[in-house]
Amino acid sequence: MLRKLITKSLTLLIILVVSSAVLQAELVWAEQIPVDAKLAKVQVTETFVEWRSGPAEGFPVFHVSERGEWLSLIRRKTDWMKVSDKSGRDGWIKMADLLLMIDGSGEKVNIVEPQFDDFNTRRWEAGLMSGEFENAAVNSAYAGYWMTENLSLELWGSQVLGDASEIKIINLNILHQPFPDWRVSPFFTLGAGMLFINPKATLADQNNRDEETMNAGFGLRYYVSNRYFVRMEVKEYKVFTNRETNEEATEWKIGLSVFF
Amino acid sequence: MENWTQRIFLAPCRHVNGVVKRLFFNKELTNMRFVALLVAMLSSGVFTQTSLAQEKPLIAPDVKPQVVDESLIDTENFEVGGFAGVINIEDFESSILLGGRIAYHLSEHFFFEGIYAIAEGGETSFEKLGNVQLLTDSDRDYSYYSFGFGVNTPGQLFLPGNYTFNTNFYLAGGIGATTFAGDDRFTYSFGAGYQVLLTDWIALHITAKEHVYKVDLLGEEKNSFNSEFSSGLTFFF
Repeated sequence: MLRKLITKSLTLLIILVVSSAVLQAELVWAEQIPVDAKLAKVQVTETFVEWRSGPAEGFPVFHVSERGEWLSLIRRKTDWMKVSDKSGRDGWIKMADLLLMIDGSGEKVNIVEPQFDDFNTRRWEAGLMSGEFENAAVNSAYAGYWMTENLSLELWGSQVLGDASEIKIINLNILHQPFPDWRVSPFFTLGAGMLFINPKATLADQNNRDEETMNAGFGLRYYVSNRYFVRMEVKEYKVFTNRETNEEATEWKIGLSVFF
Repeated sequence: MENWTQRIFLAPCRHVNGVVKRLFFNKELTNMRFVALLVAMLSSGVFTQTSLAQEKPLIAPDVKPQVVDESLIDTENFEVGGFAGVINIEDFESSILLGGRIAYHLSEHFFFEGIYAIAEGGETSFEKLGNVQLLTDSDRDYSYYSFGFGVNTPGQLFLPGNYTFNTNFYLAGGIGATTFAGDDRFTYSFGAGYQVLLTDWIALHITAKEHVYKVDLLGEEKNSFNSEFSSGLTFFF
């Protein structure tokens, strides 16, 4: 009797321990994300998500993933993410759809899109502008770094294409925008730099001149979308020459810029 | 004699059965079997409690839950590459043109691009007939830069043999400067291109462009129209 009882209780114990262990392990394995560890994974939470054959609305939808499916993130192009599923097919889904999904931690996918009101996602900016410098065409490129929400440091390179000369200008500017939260934001700027004047080959006076210069200006930035904006500005240049009088020049420009 | 539990759980490994019998049913080990049972029960109890408390599986999976790290995702919004083609420099023959292009894609529709290219101007008809030189050799070096904006319209290219490529037809315009004949001139350019994406990150381009700038080389000022046809290869990164 006792022998049977002990055998039974021992067996029961073994069954309990083993089965509970197996059950727990199974639960964990079932929830666990696919094993291909290199690529980040996300799980679809909406009813379905559309796959397109290319990274644009113009490409056809050729597949959908249902809620609960795990997708691997391969690469991103603009607002599209290339994904693959466990059967190995790949395609492009919209970032807006991706941001609704959850990752391995069970939280929503943590990808921060640059936003107009999020200073941390827009520290660097760069842009190209064109306009006039004392009635001559001017093309400029610049890169800027925002030290605070209000203050940024900018490095400028410009080329003035005049009838009598070609002028290259390098400037270092500090820029202040008093109202960073405004969609149309005014700013003021002060800078210093060098002018490299290269007279045309057809003119008699062909001596190149390098002059120091300072500038002050104001302008507007208009946020078109979260990553890019239109910028326009007017600058007044003071050119310090070796002659008796200093020269002055007015410049206006308009262009497009991007946040990084 | 075996009961059904023994048959199921112990029958395949008799030696285990033997050990169990020896351990629990040998009279000399009477005390030990109680100790063993006690230890077994206690340990299993402790085990269950700890596993419940920490919610950890007995078999720990060796893959941790992955959080999507944005910085590890490969983004391919920049495109860089080179091209070669022919440019017709007004009054100065057609020449081979070599250039580089960098583009930043703002969205699926819009992109910024910057282009720099070089060529060498030939001789005007006047120079050939009259045996004179209008320009020195160094002044014949032709170069332009251009930065601008483009609009993509996506499409697909189907080739025989079941090959499909994503494509973009694009219109692009830009401003910049042309250096030629010892002069730097503000230049407008506009044109169209066809981009075939061989893979996600390699693209083939075919473009046709017009560059317009003012020249006063022959006395009076006039517009110079320079047509360019080129093809190139770019890489996304």
